[in-house]
Amino acid sequence: MSAAAISPAVPKPAHVPDALVYDFDMFRDPAYVADPHKRVLDLVKNAPPIFWTPRNGGHWMLLSHAANFNAARDTEAFTSEFIPKAELAAMKARMPPGMPHIPIPIPINLDPPDHTKYRAPLQRVFSPKAILAIRDSIVALATELVDAVKERGHCEFMKEIAEPMPVQVFLKMLGLPLDRQDEYREIVAAHLSDPSPDARAMIPKLQRIAASMNDTFLARRDNPQDDIISLLWKIEVDGKQSTIEDMQNYGVLLFIAGLDTVMNGIGHGVRHLAQNPDLQAQLRANPKLVPEATEELLRRYTFTVPPRLVARDMTFEGVEMKARERAMLFLPAADLDSKEYPQSESFDLNRENKVHIAFNAGPHRCLGSHLARVELQVIYEVLMARLPTFRLDPDKPPTFHCGHVVGVDSLNLVWDV
Amino acid sequence: MKIRINKSACVGNARCAAVSEQLFPLDDDGYIAVEEVDVPPGMEELARKGARACPERIIVIEEE
Repeated sequence: MSAAAISPAVPKPAHVPDALVYDFDMFRDPAYVADPHKRVLDLVKNAPPIFWTPRNGGHWMLLSHAANFNAARDTEAFTSEFIPKAELAAMKARMPPGMPHIPIPIPINLDPPDHTKYRAPLQRVFSPKAILAIRDSIVALATELVDAVKERGHCEFMKEIAEPMPVQVFLKMLGLPLDRQDEYREIVAAHLSDPSPDARAMIPKLQRIAASMNDTFLARRDNPQDDIISLLWKIEVDGKQSTIEDMQNYGVLLFIAGLDTVMNGIGHGVRHLAQNPDLQAQLRANPKLVPEATEELLRRYTFTVPPRLVARDMTFEGVEMKARERAMLFLPAADLDSKEYPQSESFDLNRENKVHIAFNAGPHRCLGSHLARVELQVIYEVLMARLPTFRLDPDKPPTFHCGHVVGVDSLNLVWDV
Repeated sequence: MKIRINKSACVGNARCAAVSEQLFPLDDDGYIAVEEVDVPPGMEELARKGARACPERIIVIEEE
Protein backbone atom coordinates (compact mmCIF):
# COMPACT_ATOMS: atom_id res chain seq x y z
CA MET A 1 0.00 0.00 0.00
CA SER A 2 2.81 2.42 0.86
CA ALA A 3 4.08 2.23 -2.70
CA ALA A 4 0.79 3.45 -4.17
CA ALA A 5 0.96 6.92 -5.69
CA ILE A 6 -0.92 9.71 -4.00
CA SER A 7 -4.00 10.93 -5.84
CA PRO A 8 -3.79 13.90 -8.25
CA ALA A 9 -4.51 17.35 -6.83
CA VAL A 10 -7.68 19.15 -7.94
CA PRO A 11 -7.94 22.97 -8.18
CA LYS A 12 -8.92 24.81 -5.03
CA PRO A 13 -12.43 26.32 -5.01
CA ALA A 14 -12.43 30.14 -4.97
CA HIS A 15 -13.93 30.48 -1.49
CA VAL A 16 -11.10 28.47 0.16
CA PRO A 17 -8.31 30.82 1.32
CA ASP A 18 -4.70 29.76 0.64
CA ALA A 19 -4.00 29.67 4.38
CA LEU A 20 -6.49 26.82 4.80
CA VAL A 21 -5.01 24.61 2.08
CA TYR A 22 -2.86 21.74 3.31
CA ASP A 23 -1.75 18.93 1.06
CA PHE A 24 -2.68 15.61 2.67
CA ASP A 25 -3.83 12.38 1.02
CA MET A 26 -5.84 10.57 3.71
CA PHE A 27 -5.46 7.26 1.88
CA ARG A 28 -1.87 7.35 0.65
CA ASP A 29 0.22 10.04 2.31
CA PRO A 30 3.54 8.14 2.64
CA ALA A 31 4.44 9.26 6.18
CA TYR A 32 0.86 8.57 7.31
CA VAL A 33 0.86 5.03 5.90
CA ALA A 34 4.34 4.39 7.37
CA ASP A 35 3.30 5.26 10.95
CA PRO A 36 -0.23 6.69 11.06
CA HIS A 37 -0.51 8.32 14.49
CA LYS A 38 2.97 9.83 14.25
CA ARG A 39 1.77 11.69 11.16
CA VAL A 40 -1.49 12.62 12.91
CA LEU A 41 0.55 14.27 15.69
CA ASP A 42 2.52 16.12 13.04
CA LEU A 43 -0.73 17.37 11.46
CA VAL A 44 -2.10 18.39 14.86
CA LYS A 45 1.01 20.53 15.42
CA ASN A 46 1.55 21.90 11.92
CA ALA A 47 -1.69 21.94 9.93
CA PRO A 48 -4.63 24.35 10.39
CA PRO A 49 -7.30 22.96 12.78
CA ILE A 50 -9.67 22.87 9.80
CA PHE A 51 -8.04 22.57 6.38
CA TRP A 52 -8.90 21.81 2.77
CA THR A 53 -6.81 19.22 0.93
CA PRO A 54 -6.71 19.00 -2.87
CA ARG A 55 -6.33 15.19 -2.79
CA ASN A 56 -9.02 12.56 -3.46
CA GLY A 57 -11.26 15.03 -5.24
CA GLY A 58 -10.71 17.81 -2.69
CA HIS A 59 -12.31 17.89 0.76
CA TRP A 60 -12.24 19.41 4.23
CA MET A 61 -10.42 17.83 7.14
CA LEU A 62 -11.62 18.67 10.65
CA LEU A 63 -8.76 18.27 13.13
CA SER A 64 -9.55 20.05 16.38
CA HIS A 65 -11.60 18.36 19.06
CA ALA A 66 -14.06 21.27 19.06
CA ALA A 67 -14.62 21.11 15.29
CA ASN A 68 -15.21 17.36 15.35
CA PHE A 69 -17.42 17.46 18.42
CA ASN A 70 -19.57 20.29 17.06
CA ALA A 71 -19.82 18.93 13.52
CA ALA A 72 -20.68 15.41 14.67
CA ARG A 73 -23.50 16.72 16.84
CA ASP A 74 -24.95 19.06 14.21
CA THR A 75 -26.53 16.70 11.69
CA GLU A 76 -28.40 19.57 10.02
CA ALA A 77 -25.14 21.26 9.04
CA PHE A 78 -23.18 18.05 8.33
CA THR A 79 -25.33 15.40 6.69
CA SER A 80 -24.67 11.67 6.36
CA GLU A 81 -27.03 11.31 3.39
CA PHE A 82 -24.45 11.21 0.61
CA ILE A 83 -26.95 10.52 -2.12
CA PRO A 84 -29.87 12.89 -1.47
CA LYS A 85 -33.24 11.15 -1.00
CA ALA A 86 -34.76 12.75 -4.12
CA GLU A 87 -31.82 11.70 -6.29
CA LEU A 88 -31.95 8.15 -4.94
CA ALA A 89 -35.66 7.94 -5.69
CA ALA A 90 -35.03 9.19 -9.25
CA MET A 91 -32.24 6.63 -9.76
CA LYS A 92 -34.55 3.85 -8.61
CA ALA A 93 -37.38 5.07 -10.86
CA ARG A 94 -35.05 4.93 -13.88
CA MET A 95 -33.87 1.38 -13.19
CA PRO A 96 -35.36 -1.32 -15.44
CA PRO A 97 -37.35 -3.98 -13.57
CA GLY A 98 -35.28 -6.84 -12.16
CA MET A 99 -32.17 -4.74 -11.50
CA PRO A 100 -30.55 -5.31 -8.11
CA HIS A 101 -31.56 -3.02 -5.25
CA ILE A 102 -29.21 -0.11 -4.45
CA PRO A 103 -28.26 -0.85 -0.84
CA ILE A 104 -27.79 2.21 1.37
CA PRO A 105 -25.94 1.48 4.60
CA ILE A 106 -28.50 2.29 7.29
CA PRO A 107 -28.73 3.74 9.83
CA ILE A 108 -25.27 5.29 9.30
CA ASN A 109 -26.17 7.03 6.01
CA LEU A 110 -29.37 8.59 7.35
CA ASP A 111 -29.89 11.80 9.33
CA PRO A 112 -32.38 12.18 12.16
CA PRO A 113 -35.35 11.73 12.32
CA ASP A 114 -35.10 8.72 9.93
CA HIS A 115 -31.79 7.72 11.53
CA THR A 116 -33.45 7.51 14.95
CA LYS A 117 -36.26 5.27 13.67
CA TYR A 118 -34.01 2.81 11.87
CA ARG A 119 -31.38 2.69 14.61
CA ALA A 120 -33.82 2.06 17.46
CA PRO A 121 -34.43 -1.66 16.72
CA LEU A 122 -30.68 -2.34 16.92
CA GLN A 123 -29.97 -0.60 20.23
CA ARG A 124 -30.99 -3.47 22.45
CA VAL A 125 -28.83 -6.15 20.82
CA PHE A 126 -25.77 -3.90 21.17
CA SER A 127 -26.59 -2.52 24.64
CA PRO A 128 -24.08 -2.89 27.49
CA LYS A 129 -26.33 -5.51 29.10
CA ALA A 130 -26.61 -7.63 25.94
CA ILE A 131 -22.85 -7.51 25.40
CA LEU A 132 -22.11 -8.43 29.00
CA ALA A 133 -24.13 -11.61 28.42
CA ILE A 134 -21.70 -12.80 25.72
CA ARG A 135 -18.50 -11.67 27.48
CA ASP A 136 -17.57 -15.18 28.68
CA SER A 137 -17.81 -16.57 25.17
CA ILE A 138 -15.47 -13.79 23.95
CA VAL A 139 -12.97 -14.64 26.71
CA ALA A 140 -13.09 -18.31 25.66
CA LEU A 141 -12.46 -17.47 22.01
CA ALA A 142 -9.60 -15.05 22.81
CA THR A 143 -7.99 -17.61 25.11
CA GLU A 144 -8.21 -20.30 22.46
CA LEU A 145 -6.60 -18.06 19.82
CA VAL A 146 -3.76 -16.90 22.11
CA ASP A 147 -3.06 -20.42 23.40
CA ALA A 148 -2.76 -21.67 19.82
CA VAL A 149 0.36 -19.52 19.25
CA LYS A 150 1.75 -19.43 22.79
CA GLU A 151 4.36 -22.22 22.55
CA ARG A 152 5.65 -20.94 19.22
CA GLY A 153 7.19 -17.73 20.61
CA HIS A 154 5.98 -15.55 17.75
CA CYS A 155 2.90 -14.74 15.68
CA GLU A 156 1.54 -12.44 13.03
CA PHE A 157 -0.93 -10.97 15.46
CA MET A 158 -3.41 -9.43 12.96
CA LYS A 159 -4.07 -12.58 10.94
CA GLU A 160 -3.89 -15.03 13.84
CA ILE A 161 -5.71 -13.17 16.63
CA ALA A 162 -6.87 -9.58 15.99
CA GLU A 163 -8.84 -10.52 12.88
CA PRO A 164 -10.47 -13.87 13.75
CA MET A 165 -11.54 -12.84 17.24
CA PRO A 166 -13.94 -9.94 16.51
CA VAL A 167 -14.89 -11.29 13.10
CA GLN A 168 -16.04 -14.63 14.53
CA VAL A 169 -17.90 -12.91 17.37
CA PHE A 170 -19.68 -10.68 14.89
CA LEU A 171 -20.55 -13.30 12.28
CA LYS A 172 -22.09 -15.36 15.05
CA MET A 173 -24.12 -12.39 16.34
CA LEU A 174 -25.37 -11.64 12.84
CA GLY A 175 -26.01 -15.26 11.93
CA LEU A 176 -23.60 -15.44 8.98
CA PRO A 177 -21.70 -18.71 8.34
CA LEU A 178 -18.22 -18.80 9.93
CA ASP A 179 -16.79 -20.87 7.06
CA ARG A 180 -17.14 -17.86 4.75
CA GLN A 181 -15.05 -15.63 7.07
CA ASP A 182 -12.16 -15.18 4.60
CA GLU A 183 -14.46 -14.31 1.72
CA TYR A 184 -16.36 -11.71 3.80
CA ARG A 185 -13.11 -10.16 5.02
CA GLU A 186 -11.78 -9.82 1.48
CA ILE A 187 -14.99 -8.10 0.33
CA VAL A 188 -15.03 -5.61 3.19
CA ALA A 189 -11.30 -4.78 2.91
CA ALA A 190 -11.70 -4.10 -0.83
CA HIS A 191 -14.68 -1.86 -0.09
CA LEU A 192 -12.94 0.25 2.55
CA SER A 193 -9.68 0.73 0.65
CA ASP A 194 -11.50 2.40 -2.25
CA PRO A 195 -10.71 6.13 -2.15
CA SER A 196 -13.48 7.06 -4.62
CA PRO A 197 -14.92 10.46 -3.67
CA ASP A 198 -18.27 9.74 -5.34
CA ALA A 199 -20.86 7.82 -3.33
CA ARG A 200 -22.47 6.64 -6.56
CA ALA A 201 -19.29 4.79 -7.55
CA MET A 202 -19.64 2.67 -4.40
CA ILE A 203 -22.99 1.20 -5.47
CA PRO A 204 -21.61 -1.93 -7.24
CA LYS A 205 -19.43 -2.69 -4.20
CA LEU A 206 -22.38 -2.36 -1.86
CA GLN A 207 -24.39 -4.63 -4.14
CA ARG A 208 -21.60 -7.21 -3.96
CA ILE A 209 -21.73 -7.10 -0.16
CA ALA A 210 -25.51 -7.47 -0.15
CA ALA A 211 -25.33 -10.37 -2.59
CA SER A 212 -22.84 -12.23 -0.37
CA MET A 213 -25.41 -12.23 2.44
CA ASN A 214 -28.54 -12.94 0.41
CA ASP A 215 -28.67 -16.72 1.01
CA THR A 216 -28.60 -16.14 4.75
CA PHE A 217 -31.27 -13.42 4.56
CA LEU A 218 -33.65 -15.77 2.77
CA ALA A 219 -32.83 -18.73 5.03
CA ARG A 220 -33.55 -16.68 8.17
CA ARG A 221 -36.77 -15.25 6.76
CA ASP A 222 -38.12 -18.80 6.36
CA ASN A 223 -36.43 -20.25 9.41
CA PRO A 224 -35.63 -17.68 12.11
CA GLN A 225 -32.78 -18.30 14.59
CA ASP A 226 -31.49 -16.41 17.60
CA ASP A 227 -29.41 -13.87 15.66
CA ILE A 228 -29.52 -10.28 14.40
CA ILE A 229 -30.54 -11.12 10.83
CA SER A 230 -33.59 -13.02 12.12
CA LEU A 231 -34.40 -10.14 14.47
CA LEU A 232 -34.24 -7.58 11.64
CA TRP A 233 -36.89 -9.53 9.70
CA LYS A 234 -39.27 -9.09 12.63
CA ILE A 235 -38.94 -5.35 13.21
CA GLU A 236 -41.32 -2.68 11.99
CA VAL A 237 -40.43 0.89 11.06
CA ASP A 238 -43.41 3.23 10.59
CA GLY A 239 -45.70 0.19 10.90
CA LYS A 240 -44.10 -1.53 7.93
CA GLN A 241 -42.38 -4.89 8.21
CA SER A 242 -38.86 -5.37 6.83
CA THR A 243 -38.49 -6.17 3.13
CA ILE A 244 -35.48 -7.83 1.47
CA GLU A 245 -34.37 -4.29 0.50
CA ASP A 246 -34.42 -3.19 4.15
CA MET A 247 -32.42 -6.30 5.05
CA GLN A 248 -29.80 -5.41 2.44
CA ASN A 249 -29.60 -1.84 3.74
CA TYR A 250 -29.03 -2.96 7.31
CA GLY A 251 -26.83 -5.83 6.17
CA VAL A 252 -24.27 -3.72 4.29
CA LEU A 253 -23.82 -1.39 7.25
CA LEU A 254 -23.46 -4.12 9.86
CA PHE A 255 -21.11 -6.00 7.56
CA ILE A 256 -18.81 -3.02 6.94
CA ALA A 257 -18.88 -1.70 10.50
CA GLY A 258 -18.59 -5.07 12.18
CA LEU A 259 -15.88 -6.74 10.17
CA ASP A 260 -13.17 -4.12 9.87
CA THR A 261 -13.08 -1.89 12.91
CA VAL A 262 -12.34 -3.61 16.22
CA MET A 263 -9.51 -5.65 14.75
CA ASN A 264 -7.66 -2.45 13.91
CA GLY A 265 -8.26 -0.96 17.35
CA ILE A 266 -6.81 -4.16 18.80
CA GLY A 267 -3.84 -3.88 16.44
CA HIS A 268 -2.97 -0.31 17.47
CA GLY A 269 -3.35 -1.14 21.17
CA VAL A 270 -1.26 -4.31 21.04
CA ARG A 271 1.46 -2.56 19.07
CA HIS A 272 1.66 0.03 21.85
CA LEU A 273 1.83 -2.72 24.48
CA ALA A 274 4.56 -4.51 22.52
CA GLN A 275 6.60 -1.28 22.51
CA ASN A 276 6.03 -0.66 26.22
CA PRO A 277 7.06 -3.58 28.44
CA ASP A 278 6.61 -1.35 31.53
CA LEU A 279 2.94 -0.93 30.74
CA GLN A 280 2.62 -4.69 30.25
CA ALA A 281 4.23 -5.22 33.67
CA GLN A 282 1.86 -2.72 35.24
CA LEU A 283 -1.20 -4.41 33.75
CA ARG A 284 0.02 -7.90 34.63
CA ALA A 285 0.51 -6.80 38.22
CA ASN A 286 -2.89 -5.12 38.33
CA PRO A 287 -5.39 -6.40 35.73
CA LYS A 288 -8.03 -4.05 37.17
CA LEU A 289 -6.24 -1.26 35.27
CA VAL A 290 -7.14 -2.81 31.91
CA PRO A 291 -10.42 -0.86 31.39
CA GLU A 292 -8.63 2.46 32.06
CA ALA A 293 -5.77 1.44 29.79
CA THR A 294 -8.28 0.51 27.10
CA GLU A 295 -9.79 4.02 27.19
CA GLU A 296 -6.41 5.73 27.04
CA LEU A 297 -5.32 3.48 24.14
CA LEU A 298 -8.54 4.37 22.30
CA ARG A 299 -7.80 8.06 22.83
CA ARG A 300 -4.14 7.81 21.85
CA TYR A 301 -4.85 5.66 18.78
CA THR A 302 -8.30 6.71 17.58
CA PHE A 303 -8.64 5.12 14.16
CA THR A 304 -11.85 5.98 12.31
CA VAL A 305 -12.47 8.92 9.97
CA PRO A 306 -16.23 9.25 9.32
CA PRO A 307 -17.18 11.32 6.26
CA ARG A 308 -19.88 13.99 6.12
CA LEU A 309 -21.34 16.30 3.48
CA VAL A 310 -21.73 20.00 4.14
CA ALA A 311 -25.52 20.41 3.99
CA ARG A 312 -25.72 24.12 3.11
CA ASP A 313 -23.53 27.14 2.50
CA MET A 314 -22.32 28.19 5.92
CA THR A 315 -19.51 29.50 8.08
CA PHE A 316 -18.34 26.80 10.45
CA GLU A 317 -15.83 27.71 13.19
CA GLY A 318 -14.86 30.74 11.10
CA VAL A 319 -14.42 28.75 7.88
CA GLU A 320 -16.57 29.32 4.81
CA MET A 321 -17.96 26.05 3.45
CA LYS A 322 -20.27 25.38 0.53
CA ALA A 323 -23.16 22.94 0.22
CA ARG A 324 -22.19 19.44 -1.03
CA GLU A 325 -18.51 19.78 -0.09
CA ARG A 326 -17.14 16.77 1.74
CA ALA A 327 -15.78 17.06 5.27
CA MET A 328 -13.94 14.33 7.16
CA LEU A 329 -14.37 13.98 10.90
CA PHE A 330 -10.68 13.32 11.54
CA LEU A 331 -11.27 11.77 14.95
CA PRO A 332 -7.65 10.54 15.36
CA ALA A 333 -6.59 14.22 15.42
CA ALA A 334 -9.48 15.31 17.68
CA ASP A 335 -8.35 12.88 20.35
CA LEU A 336 -4.76 14.17 20.08
CA ASP A 337 -5.76 17.84 20.40
CA SER A 338 -3.48 19.28 23.09
CA LYS A 339 -6.08 21.94 23.99
CA GLU A 340 -8.26 19.09 25.21
CA TYR A 341 -5.57 16.62 26.33
CA PRO A 342 -2.35 18.24 27.62
CA GLN A 343 0.75 16.38 26.35
CA SER A 344 -1.65 14.56 24.06
CA GLU A 345 1.11 12.37 22.59
CA SER A 346 1.80 10.65 25.91
CA PHE A 347 -0.08 7.57 26.88
CA ASP A 348 -0.93 8.42 30.47
CA LEU A 349 -2.98 6.09 32.65
CA ASN A 350 -3.32 8.85 35.22
CA ARG A 351 -4.52 11.47 32.77
CA GLU A 352 -7.39 13.37 34.33
CA ASN A 353 -9.41 13.62 31.13
CA LYS A 354 -9.44 10.42 29.09
CA VAL A 355 -12.92 11.13 27.72
CA HIS A 356 -12.29 10.61 24.02
CA ILE A 357 -14.54 10.59 20.96
CA ALA A 358 -13.00 7.50 19.33
CA PHE A 359 -16.57 6.23 18.86
CA ASN A 360 -17.63 9.62 17.49
CA ALA A 361 -20.00 12.08 19.18
CA GLY A 362 -23.65 12.84 18.51
CA PRO A 363 -26.43 10.53 17.34
CA HIS A 364 -24.12 8.43 15.15
CA ARG A 365 -22.12 7.29 18.20
CA CYS A 366 -20.77 3.87 17.23
CA LEU A 367 -23.61 1.40 17.73
CA GLY A 368 -21.07 -1.36 18.40
CA SER A 369 -19.02 0.62 20.93
CA HIS A 370 -20.01 -1.54 23.90
CA LEU A 371 -19.07 -4.69 22.01
CA ALA A 372 -15.80 -3.09 20.87
CA ARG A 373 -14.87 -2.03 24.41
CA VAL A 374 -15.46 -5.52 25.79
CA GLU A 375 -13.47 -7.12 22.96
CA LEU A 376 -10.57 -4.71 23.51
CA GLN A 377 -10.56 -5.25 27.26
CA VAL A 378 -10.80 -9.02 26.87
CA ILE A 379 -7.92 -9.36 24.43
CA TYR A 380 -5.64 -7.17 26.58
CA GLU A 381 -6.57 -9.18 29.70
CA VAL A 382 -6.05 -12.52 27.98
CA LEU A 383 -2.70 -11.47 26.48
CA MET A 384 -1.47 -10.30 29.88
CA ALA A 385 -2.65 -13.51 31.55
CA ARG A 386 -1.44 -16.04 28.94
CA LEU A 387 1.70 -14.63 27.31
CA PRO A 388 5.02 -13.51 28.79
CA THR A 389 6.31 -10.04 27.86
CA PHE A 390 5.96 -9.68 24.10
CA ARG A 391 7.67 -7.22 21.78
CA LEU A 392 7.75 -6.22 18.13
CA ASP A 393 9.74 -8.50 15.84
CA PRO A 394 12.73 -6.25 15.00
CA ASP A 395 13.06 -7.87 11.55
CA LYS A 396 9.42 -7.35 10.56
CA PRO A 397 8.12 -3.92 11.56
CA PRO A 398 4.34 -3.40 11.52
CA THR A 399 2.60 -2.19 8.36
CA PHE A 400 -0.53 -0.07 8.05
CA HIS A 401 -3.28 1.15 5.73
CA CYS A 402 -5.14 4.44 5.90
CA GLY A 403 -8.54 5.76 4.85
CA HIS A 404 -11.86 5.88 6.68
CA VAL A 405 -10.41 3.19 8.92
CA VAL A 406 -6.77 3.62 9.91
CA GLY A 407 -5.73 0.02 10.20
CA VAL A 408 -2.89 -2.36 10.95
CA ASP A 409 -2.01 -4.73 8.10
CA SER A 410 0.60 -6.81 9.88
CA LEU A 411 1.92 -6.91 13.42
CA ASN A 412 4.66 -9.46 14.07
CA LEU A 413 5.20 -10.18 17.76
CA VAL A 414 7.89 -12.25 19.49
CA TRP A 415 8.28 -13.51 23.07
CA ASP A 416 10.57 -15.88 24.96
CA VAL A 417 9.54 -19.52 25.28
CA MET B 1 -26.26 17.33 45.68
CA LYS B 2 -28.27 16.74 42.51
CA ILE B 3 -27.40 15.26 39.13
CA ARG B 4 -29.19 16.82 36.16
CA ILE B 5 -29.08 15.11 32.78
CA ASN B 6 -30.16 16.47 29.42
CA LYS B 7 -31.79 13.11 28.69
CA SER B 8 -32.93 13.85 25.14
CA ALA B 9 -29.29 14.51 24.15
CA CYS B 10 -28.08 11.12 25.44
CA VAL B 11 -26.57 9.03 22.63
CA GLY B 12 -26.00 5.90 24.68
CA ASN B 13 -22.29 5.97 25.48
CA ALA B 14 -23.13 4.51 28.91
CA ARG B 15 -19.87 5.84 30.37
CA CYS B 16 -21.73 7.30 33.36
CA ALA B 17 -23.17 3.87 34.17
CA ALA B 18 -19.67 2.38 33.91
CA VAL B 19 -18.80 4.66 36.85
CA SER B 20 -21.96 3.92 38.87
CA GLU B 21 -24.97 1.93 37.73
CA GLN B 22 -26.77 2.98 40.87
CA LEU B 23 -26.46 6.71 40.23
CA PHE B 24 -26.88 6.48 36.46
CA PRO B 25 -29.47 3.80 35.62
CA LEU B 26 -29.86 2.87 31.94
CA ASP B 27 -32.91 1.69 30.01
CA ASP B 28 -32.92 -1.60 28.08
CA ASP B 29 -31.42 0.14 25.03
CA GLY B 30 -28.47 1.36 27.09
CA TYR B 31 -29.54 5.03 27.23
CA ILE B 32 -29.88 7.03 30.43
CA ALA B 33 -33.22 6.34 32.10
CA VAL B 34 -33.49 9.42 34.35
CA GLU B 35 -33.25 13.21 34.17
CA GLU B 36 -32.58 14.00 37.78
CA VAL B 37 -30.97 12.12 40.65
CA ASP B 38 -30.64 13.05 44.32
CA VAL B 39 -27.13 11.95 45.23
CA PRO B 40 -27.13 9.89 48.44
CA PRO B 41 -24.61 11.04 51.07
CA GLY B 42 -21.18 9.53 50.46
CA MET B 43 -21.65 9.17 46.68
CA GLU B 44 -20.75 12.75 45.75
CA GLU B 45 -17.36 11.88 44.25
CA LEU B 46 -18.84 9.08 42.12
CA ALA B 47 -21.50 11.50 40.87
CA ARG B 48 -18.83 14.02 39.82
CA LYS B 49 -16.78 11.28 38.17
CA GLY B 50 -19.81 9.95 36.29
CA ALA B 51 -20.68 13.44 35.04
CA ARG B 52 -17.12 14.00 33.81
CA ALA B 53 -17.14 10.63 32.00
CA CYS B 54 -19.89 11.68 29.57
CA PRO B 55 -18.40 12.29 26.10
CA GLU B 56 -21.50 14.34 25.17
CA ARG B 57 -21.08 16.62 28.22
CA ILE B 58 -24.79 16.55 29.05
CA ILE B 59 -24.55 15.74 32.77
CA VAL B 60 -24.27 18.56 35.29
CA ILE B 61 -23.84 18.42 39.02
CA GLU B 62 -25.63 20.87 41.26
CA GLU B 63 -23.64 21.20 44.44
CA GLU B 64 -25.61 22.36 47.45
